[in-house]
Amino acid sequence: MRNHPIRLLIALTLAVIFAFPIWFMVSSAFKAEAEIQAIPMHLLPWDFQGLAQFRLAADIAPVWVYFANSWLYAITHVVITVFFGALAGFGFAKYRFPGRSLLFLAVLSTIMVPFQVLVVPLFIEMKALGWENSYAGLLVPGMMNAFGVFMMRQYAADLPDELLEAARIDGAPELRIFLQIALPLLLPALASLAIIVFIWAWGAFLWPLVIVQDKGLNVLSVGLASYTQPYLGQPMWGAAMAASTIATIPIAVLFVFFQRYFVKGLTAAAVKG
Amino acid sequence: MHYKWWGLIFVLPAVGFFAAFNLFPMLFGLYLSFTDYDLLNPPIWVGLDNFVNLWDDRLFRQALGNTLVFVAGATVPVWGLSLLAALVFDQAFRARDWLKAAFFLPVLPPIAVVAVLWRVLLHPNGVITSLTGGWWGVTEIRWLADTALAPFSMIAVHDWAMIPFFMMIWLAGLAAIPPEFREAAAIDGAGPVRTFWHVDLPQLRSTAVLVAALSSIGAFQTFALQYVLPNDAGGPANSTMVLALLVLKYGFQYFRMGDAAAISVVMFAMIMLVTLGQLWFNRRA
Repeated sequence: MRNHPIRLLIALTLAVIFAFPIWFMVSSAFKAEAEIQAIPMHLLPWDFQGLAQFRLAADIAPVWVYFANSWLYAITHVVITVFFGALAGFGFAKYRFPGRSLLFLAVLSTIMVPFQVLVVPLFIEMKALGWENSYAGLLVPGMMNAFGVFMMRQYAADLPDELLEAARIDGAPELRIFLQIALPLLLPALASLAIIVFIWAWGAFLWPLVIVQDKGLNVLSVGLASYTQPYLGQPMWGAAMAASTIATIPIAVLFVFFQRYFVKGLTAAAVKG
Repeated sequence: MHYKWWGLIFVLPAVGFFAAFNLFPMLFGLYLSFTDYDLLNPPIWVGLDNFVNLWDDRLFRQALGNTLVFVAGATVPVWGLSLLAALVFDQAFRARDWLKAAFFLPVLPPIAVVAVLWRVLLHPNGVITSLTGGWWGVTEIRWLADTALAPFSMIAVHDWAMIPFFMMIWLAGLAAIPPEFREAAAIDGAGPVRTFWHVDLPQLRSTAVLVAALSSIGAFQTFALQYVLPNDAGGPANSTMVLALLVLKYGFQYFRMGDAAAISVVMFAMIMLVTLGQLWFNRRA
C-alpha cells in the first residue's frame, strides 16, 4: 500500500500544484520583464537577468529600508514576547500569589480577541499617545503576545519543584532561579516560541498598514504593495517578484535550518492557541 | 517578603502590557460602538443606533454576505483537501520527504507576498489562464476583475496558502494515534478505507473540530488578500468587500469610528460563536 502508484500519483500532483507558484515567483525574479507572462511559461529564465530585478526593486521603492524595518519589527516582537512570556509563564506556573487565577484569565482572554477587532480603538489610543506614524506606535502595541505567556506557563509547570526549592534553600534570589535554572530548561520551548512569533511578526500586515504613513517606517509586507502599481506606465512584475522573494527568504531559511522547531512551533500555536 | 510575591512581580510586566494594549482597547472599542465619533469632536453616546443602522446598511450586508461565502470556501475544501494530503503524506514512501517539502512551500511566504504573487499569476492573459482556459482555447479570463469570479479567486488563493498548513495539524493528530490500533485493524483484515473510517477518524475527532474552528476563525478575519489582490481594495464593485476591510474603510477613510467599532463587535461575536461551537463539539466527544 505504501508505494502504491495511486499514492505516489496524488502526492506528486499535490506537490507540483502547490509548489508551482513559488517556483514561478523565484524564477520570475531572474527573468526579463517581457518573458514573465510568456505563454507557454518559461520554467527557467531564458534571458537570465542576474540581480537586475532586485536592483530595479530597490530603485522603485526603498526595499532595503522596508527589509530593515521588518527585521526590527520581528526581532523586538520575538525578544520581548520570549523573555517576558517566559517570565510571566514561570510566575503563573510556580508561584501561588493572591489574584493569580484572575490575572491569568485576563491574559488568556486577550488570545480570543482577534487583532482586527482591536485595530480601531488601538489606533485612537496611539493617536492620543502621540505615537501614530512612529516607531513606538509601529512596534510597541503588538510586541508582547499572550500566546507566549500561555505556552510558557504550560512548559514551566513541568519544571521539577525540587530543583527550584533546592536553589531557594541555597539562598538563590528568585530572579536568579528564573534566569539560571528555569530559563535554560525552557530553551527548547523558547526556540519553538521564538520561531512562531518571528513568522507572525514577519508577516504582520494590518497594523503596520494602519499606523504608519511615512514610507521610511514601512515594513516589507506593506511596502510590497507599491510594486503592484505600474511604474512610469510600465508593469513591474520582475521587481515585484524580486521583492516578494526577498520577503520570503528569512522564513524559508528558518524552515530549512530549524525544521523541527518550525513545525513544532506552528503546531503548538494552532493546537494550544 | 515571602517568595510567592515574586510570582506577582514576574507576571506584572506582561499583565500591565496586556491591560494597556489589549484589555483597554477591547473595552474602549466596545464603548465606541455605542457612540458617534469622528476623531475631531468628542464621542456622542447613541446607544444601539450603530448596530441598528448596520442592519440597513447595504454595504455592510454585502460585506457580511461576502465574508460568509469566503468562510464557506475557506473551510469545507480546506478541511477535506488538507486531510487527504495528510493521509497521503502520513506514511513513508519513495521521495516522500521531498514531495512533502514541496507541498509545504505555500506556508512560507507572508500573506502580502501571497497576494502580490497571485496578482501576477492571475493576470487575465497570464500563466494560470493558459494552464486552465488554454486547453479550451480561452486566452483571457478576468480572474480579479470579474465581479462573479473575483470572490472565488480570493478563496482559491487563500486555500492554496492554508491547505499545507492544516495538513501539518492533521499529521500531528495522526501521529498521536497509537500504532497498535492500526496493527490490530490490519490483523482483523480491515482494508485501508475501513481502517481509516473505523480507526483513524474516531481518534481524529478533536483534530477535525480544531481544523474546522481554526480555518473558519481565520477566514472571518480575512483582509490582506482582498486588500492587495484586486485593483481597488474590496473590488471590483465591492464583490470582495469583507468585514475587516469595511472596518478599515469606515474607520480610516470615512472617520466613522463608531460604525467601524460596531462592525468589529459583530466580527468578534461571530468568532466567539465559532469558539463556543468548538468547545461544545469537544465536550460532546
